[in-house]
Amino acid sequence: MKRSWQWLLALVLLSALAFGLGSYQNDVYRKLLLWITLALGYNFLFGIAGQVAFSHFSFYGLGAYSVVIGITYFGWPLPLALLASVVFCVVVALVVAIPATRLEGFYLALATLAFAQLFIVLLNEGGQVTGGTGGLANYRLPDIGGYRIKGAAYTVVIVVLMLSTFAVLWRLDRSHFGRACRAARDNPEAAAAMGVDVRRTRIIAYTLTSALAGLAGMVYAFVDNTVNPTIFGLENVFLLLFMIIIGGIGRAAGAVAGAILLYLLPFVLSPLIGHHHALVFGLVMVLVVLFQPKGLMGLWDQWLGHRFLNGPGAQVKPSNAKQHV
Amino acid sequence: MRSNMSDASALLQVRGLTRRFGGLLAVSGLDMSVFPGEILGLIGPNGAGKSTTFSMMAGAIEPSAGDIYFQGESLSGVPTHAFAARGIVRTFQHNKPFESMSIQENVMVGMHTQVPLSMWQVVLGTAKAKAHEKHARAQALHWIDFVGLGEYAQADVRTLSFGQGRLLEIARGLAAQPKLMLFDEPAAGLTATECIRLADIIRGIAAQGIAVLLIEHDMPFLMALAQRVVVLNFGEKIAEGSPTQVQADPAVVNAYLGQVKVDHA
Repeated sequence: MKRSWQWLLALVLLSALAFGLGSYQNDVYRKLLLWITLALGYNFLFGIAGQVAFSHFSFYGLGAYSVVIGITYFGWPLPLALLASVVFCVVVALVVAIPATRLEGFYLALATLAFAQLFIVLLNEGGQVTGGTGGLANYRLPDIGGYRIKGAAYTVVIVVLMLSTFAVLWRLDRSHFGRACRAARDNPEAAAAMGVDVRRTRIIAYTLTSALAGLAGMVYAFVDNTVNPTIFGLENVFLLLFMIIIGGIGRAAGAVAGAILLYLLPFVLSPLIGHHHALVFGLVMVLVVLFQPKGLMGLWDQWLGHRFLNGPGAQVKPSNAKQHV
Repeated sequence: MRSNMSDASALLQVRGLTRRFGGLLAVSGLDMSVFPGEILGLIGPNGAGKSTTFSMMAGAIEPSAGDIYFQGESLSGVPTHAFAARGIVRTFQHNKPFESMSIQENVMVGMHTQVPLSMWQVVLGTAKAKAHEKHARAQALHWIDFVGLGEYAQADVRTLSFGQGRLLEIARGLAAQPKLMLFDEPAAGLTATECIRLADIIRGIAAQGIAVLLIEHDMPFLMALAQRVVVLNFGEKIAEGSPTQVQADPAVVNAYLGQVKVDHA
C-alpha cells in the first residue's frame, strides 16, 4: 500500500514538472526520461544479469523504426502498429538471444556489437521501407480517441513509461528471477546445481530488457517525429554503456544518476568547451574505471559509511575514551 | 546389514555405469545403490573414478554407457539444472557461493525449484508473490540456523571463512529440499573442530530421511560417519559394506588403505 503511494507521488511530481517547463525544456526532459528508461533496462541486462551486450540501443531503434513503418508504410492504426512492434522486438530479441546466450563475456560482446552494426547497415540500405540514410519523417502520432497528445501531455506518457520500466525491473530484481540472474552471473555451475536453468534465465533477461528498450523506442519515435540511422549509431550505444558504468554498475539508482549526469553534461560543457566535451567524457570514463569502478553509487556508499563512522553518534566514543584515560 | 535391503527400496540405482574420456576408462560397469536416510561413503585411490561417478550422479557429465535411476526413473538425458527439482543436490569441493549476494539470498537461490510464481505475478507484485518472498526469507533463515550461520544471515558472502563457506553450501543445498545430497570432499580444508561440526550436521541431514553420499579422502572422518562404504579402484567396485567390513577387506587394504595404518580394534 505504502509502495503504491510512493509510485503515485513520483508520477504526480514528475508529470507536474513537465507542465512547468517550456517547450524546449520539455524536449530535453523527455529525452532525459528516455535515457533513464534505457539505462535502467541496460543496467538489468549488463549489471544484474551480467550479459555484456551492445545491442540494447539497437532495440530502441528497432522499436522506433517498426512503429513508424507500421503506421506509414503499412498504414496500420496505432494500436496494431504498437502491438506488432512489440512482437517484432521480442522475436528479434529471441533470434539474437538463443544463439548469443551460448556465448559469454567477450564473445557475447562481439556478437551483439555485430548485431548493432548490422542494424545500422540495414537501416541505411532499407530503401523505401526505412527511408535509407535520411530515415523517416513527415509522420506524427495519430490521434487517440479524437485527441492529439502533444507537448507536456506526451511528456506524461514518457513519465509513465519510465516509472513502469523502473517498477517492473525493481520487482524482478527483488524476486526469485533477479536472484537467478545474479546467480547465473556469479557462478553458472552452482546456479545450475541449484536448479536454475542458466540459459533460459539469460534468454528471458535479454528478451525482456530488449523488449523494454523497444517499447521506449516506440515512444521516442513521436518525440522528434523523425527516425534516422545516425541516432541509433554506435556513439549512443557507448554513451548508454558509460551511463551505467559511471552511475555504478548493477544499481538502479546508479543507472538513473549516470543517465542524468551524462545526458545533461554536454548542455553544461558545450558552451564552455564546444565539441571537446567528448574528450572530457573519455577522460572521466578512464578515471572512473581506474579509481572508482563502483561509480557514483560507490561514492554514495562511501559517503554514507563515512557519515556513519564519523557522525554525531560515533564522536561520543573517542570523548568517552578520553575520560577513561 | 544394508546389503539385505532389496533394490526396490533404493532411492538411487546405478546400473552398468561407464564413462570414457578418450581412451581412458574412468568408470567401468559400476553397479551401486543409495538408500533413503543413509550416509554412504564413496572412496578409492586417486583416479579410481570417484569424482567421475559423482559428476554423473550430479548431472554434470553424461555416462558413456549404463544408466542411473532416481526413484525408479532414468536420469539419462536430464539436463543438469533439472537434477535439483528431482531431488538431487550437490556441494562443491571448492566453495561456489554467489558472491554478489548476502548469505540469506544465497540460500534463497536454493529454493529456486520451489517457486510457484509466474513472471507476471512477480511483475504485478501480487499478494501471492509477496507471500512467497516472505516465506522464502523465513525458510532460508531456518536452514542458515540449521548449519549454525544464523548470526551471519545478512552478511556479505565474501566475509565468510572457508569453513563457513562450506556450511553455506550445505544450507543452500538443503533449501532445495533434496532427497539425496552429494558431498564432494566436504572435510577438505576444514579444521578439526569444523570437521566435528560438519559430521554432526551431516548426521542431522540423514536423520531427516535425506540420503547422503560423500566422496572423502579423510579416512578417520569418513569411517566414523558413514554407515556404508563403496570402494572403487580403476573405475570398478572392489568392495562394499560397513566401514568395519571394508577396512578388513584385503582387496581394499591392498589397493587403498594399505597406505595408511588401519587400527583393527
